[in-house]
Amino acid sequence: MRISYNWLKEYIDITLTPEQLAERFTMAGLEVDEIVWRGAELENVVVAEIKNTERVANSDHLTLCQVYDGCDMLQIVCGAPNVAVGRKVALAKIGAKLPGDIKIKKAKLAGIDSFGMLCSSAELGIDPEGTSGIWLLDDDLPLGVELADALGLRDAVIVVELTPNRNDCLGMLNVAHEAAALTGIRVKLPQPQYRENGGDISQQAAIIVEDSKLCPRYIGRLVKNIEVGTSPAWMQQYLLAAGMRPINSVVDISNFVMLETGQPLHFFDYDKLADHKIIVRQALKDEMMQTLDGKQRQFRGEEILICDGQKPVCIAGVMGGMDTEVTVETTSVLIESACFAQVPIRRAARRLGIPSEASLRFEKGVDIEGCDFASRRAVQMLCEYCNGEAARGSIDVRIEPAPIKKIKLRQQRVNQVLGTQFTQTEITEVICALGFPIEMVNEDMLVEVPTYRQDITLEIDLIEEIARIKGYDKVPVTIPSSAAQGQRTSQQQLLRKINQLMLAHGLTETINYSFISSKEADRLELPPDDDWRKSMAILNPINEDQSVMRQSLLPGLLHCLMRNLNRRNDNCAIYELGRVFLPHDETVQPDEIMTLCCVLCGQAPSSWQSAGEKYDYFYLKGIIEDLLKAAGVNNVLFKREEYSFLHPGRSAAITVNKKAIGYIGELHPEVAENYLVDGTVIAAELDLRLILSLADLLLQSKDLPRYPAVNRDIALIGDKYVPAAEIEKEIKRLGGNNLQDAQLFDLYEGAPIEAGQRSLAYSLLFQSKERTLTDSEIDAAFERIVAGLTEKWGLKLRQ
Amino acid sequence: MLNKLTSLMEEAVAAVDSCTDLEQLQEIKVAYLGKKGAITAIAKMMGGLSPEERPKLGAALNQAKQAVEQAIEQRLLQLQAAGLSSRLAVETIDVSLPGKRFTQGNQHILSRVVEEIEDIFLGMGYLIAEGPEIELDYYNFEALNLPPEHPARDMQDSFYFGESMLLRTQTSPVQVRTMEKMRPELPVKVICPGRVYRRDDDATHSPMFHQVEGLLVDKNVSFADLKGTLLVFAKRMFGEEREIRLRPSYFPFTEPSAEVDVSCFVCGGKGCRLCKGSGWIEILGSGMVHPKVLSASGYDPEQVTGFAFGMGVERIAMLKYAINDIRLLFDNDLRFISQF
Repeated sequence: MRISYNWLKEYIDITLTPEQLAERFTMAGLEVDEIVWRGAELENVVVAEIKNTERVANSDHLTLCQVYDGCDMLQIVCGAPNVAVGRKVALAKIGAKLPGDIKIKKAKLAGIDSFGMLCSSAELGIDPEGTSGIWLLDDDLPLGVELADALGLRDAVIVVELTPNRNDCLGMLNVAHEAAALTGIRVKLPQPQYRENGGDISQQAAIIVEDSKLCPRYIGRLVKNIEVGTSPAWMQQYLLAAGMRPINSVVDISNFVMLETGQPLHFFDYDKLADHKIIVRQALKDEMMQTLDGKQRQFRGEEILICDGQKPVCIAGVMGGMDTEVTVETTSVLIESACFAQVPIRRAARRLGIPSEASLRFEKGVDIEGCDFASRRAVQMLCEYCNGEAARGSIDVRIEPAPIKKIKLRQQRVNQVLGTQFTQTEITEVICALGFPIEMVNEDMLVEVPTYRQDITLEIDLIEEIARIKGYDKVPVTIPSSAAQGQRTSQQQLLRKINQLMLAHGLTETINYSFISSKEADRLELPPDDDWRKSMAILNPINEDQSVMRQSLLPGLLHCLMRNLNRRNDNCAIYELGRVFLPHDETVQPDEIMTLCCVLCGQAPSSWQSAGEKYDYFYLKGIIEDLLKAAGVNNVLFKREEYSFLHPGRSAAITVNKKAIGYIGELHPEVAENYLVDGTVIAAELDLRLILSLADLLLQSKDLPRYPAVNRDIALIGDKYVPAAEIEKEIKRLGGNNLQDAQLFDLYEGAPIEAGQRSLAYSLLFQSKERTLTDSEIDAAFERIVAGLTEKWGLKLRQ
Repeated sequence: MLNKLTSLMEEAVAAVDSCTDLEQLQEIKVAYLGKKGAITAIAKMMGGLSPEERPKLGAALNQAKQAVEQAIEQRLLQLQAAGLSSRLAVETIDVSLPGKRFTQGNQHILSRVVEEIEDIFLGMGYLIAEGPEIELDYYNFEALNLPPEHPARDMQDSFYFGESMLLRTQTSPVQVRTMEKMRPELPVKVICPGRVYRRDDDATHSPMFHQVEGLLVDKNVSFADLKGTLLVFAKRMFGEEREIRLRPSYFPFTEPSAEVDVSCFVCGGKGCRLCKGSGWIEILGSGMVHPKVLSASGYDPEQVTGFAFGMGVERIAMLKYAINDIRLLFDNDLRFISQF
């Protein structure tokens, strides 16, 4: 809402400066975006008179003018066709700065010096769509005076961003009520008075409302014998300040009353209304009408139409029709001041793409009890400024008035909610400043809320009024007395630990969108029936790339990797901790599963001491193993498993107690190519819901060993496809109670070992809790291990 | 004999003093004091002396032996010291070479800011609550006093999956879910961090972003308590010198509602580019929980009151760390993430 300071002063004798008023508005909940100083940009533009003109010889359109500014005679070359001796004009002198950053300098046109410029209203930014030619001013303006002063253009427009509850302030009168509440100064309401000598309206028009739900109130008034001309200068200035263009006196009055009261009006050319009749009804499906912008509109059947005796003449609250539009020939006007259902107006304005100042107000809801005032105000102005004759009375079709709204307000409740100690007097003062009538019932106040404040329905709304008019700065600062312990749940702690562990292992955290492209399934080469292809789809996505809810974090991380590689961030170790969305059917919320995904490409950072380790399967596997250990997850097994997006020979399911909790592997070269990645990519993804449920974080101390440990190394040769994890498990089983650990320390393939075979070397640690072990005991265990492995897989001791 | 002994001793001491390495010193020791050493040889001749001469020679012999041993001992220490210092000299390193790098990953700035906020409120006794990101219309709007066709629904253009399911546009539905779960227990004291979604995409809006919601419901919770709580938060988050200012605003689920400004942490309130000359920066929205929301969640608004607040994590991160484009936060360029 653009609030003109000058206009506001018509209703309330504000003594605050525009800046002070703006500050008060902001601190009372009408947030001021900016103050626009009208007229300030017109410095060095003065009223001058053209004293002489002569055609410039070698030009077909330039005129050499002698212009008098009350002090000096200036020579000015002008290209406008309408220069005329004796007319007063707007002269931009040398040094003037016009809107659009135009600086006026001494110039030479067609070889003749020119000392300034005669301006059009558009060039002065007064009427951006003003007609061509210079602006011819009224003859009675004083010479030499700054134009902004001569025309009374100086004004401060306080631009307020209204919250949705304060649509009442879309009318200047209600802004005045707000200013009154903030300053204690009384509002002067305009009193629309006029003679009604145009006959009785009920003899001259009829109004029928078919459905009062669509139109709870419709008031018609008639003004005859009007003359359409230009509106007074002050009205034009107010309209321009409010951001609307002056058109002609009739249209301007309609807009002025809307801006003043917040009630949009529609004026019909009375003589063009068939049967002088108005019917308000719902549109029929596929019905057509031509709106005043010349377009044919087709209706869905949910719009509200205003019709005359034969046809639709207006889309209620949105736009008038071509046929009954007020033109310069119009002599009689039927004024509509109505209240329409909000939703159909909003839908129609949206769907037809024609939001207007009027539809904006209707869709936010107008004051049903304000319709009559607005219609009388319009009649009064049409009589006053267009010499109209008012018909007697009005036609008012309406629903029963709602009972007067009275709300109980308790002093104790005010202070309890706000934490204040306002006295009864302080509270009543605020209510009175707001202009709300108040009566006392025992201890409590009964407050009558004016109909224009539709946002106030409960006691809490009045409490808010008190707080904001008194000022939030009057509320003290206290600390709640509620005692409670703040701590993370064990699951939240574990997630945090996982995050820290990833960081400590050199992975960088990323945050990717929860929605991905439906094409990711193809990029991952997923089979046609894969579950990941059945993701939840957003009905109204911004674009295809953000259209389905992810079931895996992998695509997001691969895009992230691709972007980083493109920017020459060659070595990437990244992860994300986030939710995936596993769908049920369309009507049920999906499972949202906390998931961890890691993607590695390139190598660990190198230094002058050592080359960086290349990221491979085992690098990431080590990280995952550390993570599972930290989370207290035992019995983890990495089992060969094929996934469409992973290298078939280098991928595994991560299982705990035979249940898969995720996957790990090298990205399939074809998938890597789909993501334009050239190089080995390692990825792993874990379902943290399962990990959180499996986590065993109960730690118990064990006695330190008291007897010496003995180390023995064992190297075995055999089939390279026997899984090392199985061999290790078998060694531990065969070694018995005294074998505390078996660690792989060497793996070798190649000559002299024959193809298809490999050598695995383990370091065995023997130790007893009860005594010092003898050599023969250890030898026996060692022999047992070798014999067992030979028997099971044909592994042989490497000599 | 005595003379010979004296000259041998002098010879030996001179040899010891001029010797330059430990091996040579050992050889000298053997040559004079060893089993076949020159001084030992004289001692062996003691037997052939008269009883009168014997003690004299004995005493002289001891003296000579001691002198030589002492010289050797001294020289040994000298040589050892010299040897160590020359070894240390050889072992000198360039201490200015870079140290070993222990690669650390970088936490994303948004997750760090969320943790900062969480820690502040955990310290004030709040628990952390969570809720679904794909939410029912009821929790996202209706239970928050935003019935269908409410004009304020327009403020938040949403992503839908059907008539009644959408990506939550705010973390506020977690308020309702938490109250439903906890009723009739008091106090309800939680913060709810999480992702939220709105149909916007430009330099200051991302279709996905993060909020942290806070809620305290108890007997006698007041607007003054809200002010006090947010002041503590502002000081911990932005510095002890910070002040806050509450301005009336509108949210359907709070009444009275307030936008909260913090005094500018760049200029301290004098006015600068960041605060657009006002000295204040808007950081969050807040208010007293609307009685209708309390009722919808199963609490009697006559018995309990509450306050709620919500902040945009991106906005706070951008303000605090001078980030000028929200898209940088979701672009995940490692060069950007590693700046923090």
